[in-house]
Amino acid sequence: MTDVNAPLDVESLREQFLNVVFDEYKLTLEAQALADYAIACGETAAKFTNPEDPDFQAPPTIASSFQQRKRYPDGFPTFKGLGMDAGKAVAPDKPMRPGVEITARTHMHDIYTKSGRSGRMVFFVNRMEFTDADNILLGSADTSIVIREKPQT
Amino acid sequence: MSVNTIADVEFGVELPSISPDTSLANVKRFVVAAGWDSPRFTDHDAAREQGLPGALVPGIMSQGFLSAMIHHWAPAAEVKLVDTVFRAPCIVDEQYNINGVVTDVDEDTGEVEIDLTVTNEAGENRVFGTAKVLIPLG
Repeated sequence: MTDVNAPLDVESLREQFLNVVFDEYKLTLEAQALADYAIACGETAAKFTNPEDPDFQAPPTIASSFQQRKRYPDGFPTFKGLGMDAGKAVAPDKPMRPGVEITARTHMHDIYTKSGRSGRMVFFVNRMEFTDADNILLGSADTSIVIREKPQT
Repeated sequence: MSVNTIADVEFGVELPSISPDTSLANVKRFVVAAGWDSPRFTDHDAAREQGLPGALVPGIMSQGFLSAMIHHWAPAAEVKLVDTVFRAPCIVDEQYNINGVVTDVDEDTGEVEIDLTVTNEAGENRVFGTAKVLIPLG
């Protein structure tokens, strides 16, 4: 049985899990929802707020709202606590438009630690990448989760 | 001053701050559109029952505010990265300011880096981060 309080072997986790896609699904964006998203955020340009605009597209940070179906890869060790959201980064590459089928694939992009007198924090960065039907990259969104390990006595 | 080309961008300049709409109605509109509808974002009492100080403004909505602030400053800016750390929660119906400072300008490529913060009425940072945007060369 796994000891959830044991320190994580970060190097082993990196070798085993980095850059392996563990979650994939398809989604299609709806025009009015995109416009509502943009308007609620305070965007005013017609290309974000008016579905009739010829250049209508999702607001740049939309990809941060796409949620993984799986939080961690199969076989990933359990640890005490759920972890806390440590931040999000979104990197749009090409506009996302309504009615276009988008494939979202997630892999673990990085695992790293920060240590101090109070113990060690382990950060997991999951990267979700988005492609269109021609496998053109539309952008990516990183989600960082941090867990704080208890000092070992 | 609205920025149209990279020649209009000055290193160190503060972007005009905006005060976003964090009303319950607007957050509800956002979470429904995002597929994130949950009482923790739309119901103060339900959020408090979960141990939260009140209904939360989703972190991804703060990212959207930051992007909108950039577009208010430079309507033609193409946002290439918004990287944020959610240091403390933003609460629905409270007032916040969305701020930015230009920290790097590449006049050859049009790339501009901006330090971003979301501050509350006490001036405390609730969200901070950086953005990279492309501004037309002219």
